[in-house]
Amino acid sequence: MEITDKVVEENVENLDVNAEVKGSTTLVPIDEYLAAGIHIGTQQKTQNMMRFVYRVRTDGLYVLDIQATDERIKLAADFLSKYDPSKILVVSARQYGQYPAKMFAKTIGTKAMVGRFIPGKLTNPNLEGFYEPDVIVVTDPTGDAQVIRESVNIGVPVVGLCDTNNMTSNVDMVIPTNNKGRKALSLVYWLLARGIAQANGIPFNYEVTDFEPGL
Amino acid sequence: MAKPKVEFCTSCGVHLVERGYVNFPCPACNAELGRCVSCRQQSNEYTCKECGFLGP
Repeated sequence: MEITDKVVEENVENLDVNAEVKGSTTLVPIDEYLAAGIHIGTQQKTQNMMRFVYRVRTDGLYVLDIQATDERIKLAADFLSKYDPSKILVVSARQYGQYPAKMFAKTIGTKAMVGRFIPGKLTNPNLEGFYEPDVIVVTDPTGDAQVIRESVNIGVPVVGLCDTNNMTSNVDMVIPTNNKGRKALSLVYWLLARGIAQANGIPFNYEVTDFEPGL
Repeated sequence: MAKPKVEFCTSCGVHLVERGYVNFPCPACNAELGRCVSCRQQSNEYTCKECGFLGP
């Protein structure tokens, strides 16, 4: 994550800060997005994610469009608020996503499955911990491939946090974001939780730092 | 699997009969959308007919 920190500083000046100029409203100020490194992609990109890429840096790093991310987070929060919170499943095999996912589950009342996902938890009723969600949120479609595979079997929609290097196969709603950074994941989950809480009328008294795992 | 609320795939128009399809409300406008297993697997784009939301 050395690259991430360096790039954040560099991009604060030259990224799309036109949002404030245009007068559009974002969930949090653009600077907060930039500070969390939510726009930082990877040096690989897939065709699926090309439409969310804002530009390519000279060193080959693909930078995500913050406006698209912000809009998708809003839409995803609205989308998830249409479901019963107890029927939402949040999954994260990725280390930095586990704490934000657990906090998300705690604040909204959803179920979280973090760490290794035991195959069959969504499809085998005889397995301990069997669960039938109505919608699934995955932190990384690559790392959580087993969950996505099982979601196809049971026919539930998948909301995925996708970076520039992710394929979006079997993902029904993409949230383009950096899904590798500690702060980026915390911010995305915090925004989602806040959006759902507001939509459902649940009190929400958490700061972004409450969603950040320790170093 | 329960009978789909939308009978056709929003992307390609195929009947939603094969296992693996999904139904979900449009994230932007609540209109019901359907995606067949192939369009999901190939990540084909879908557009909401009500509001023009382009997914995934």
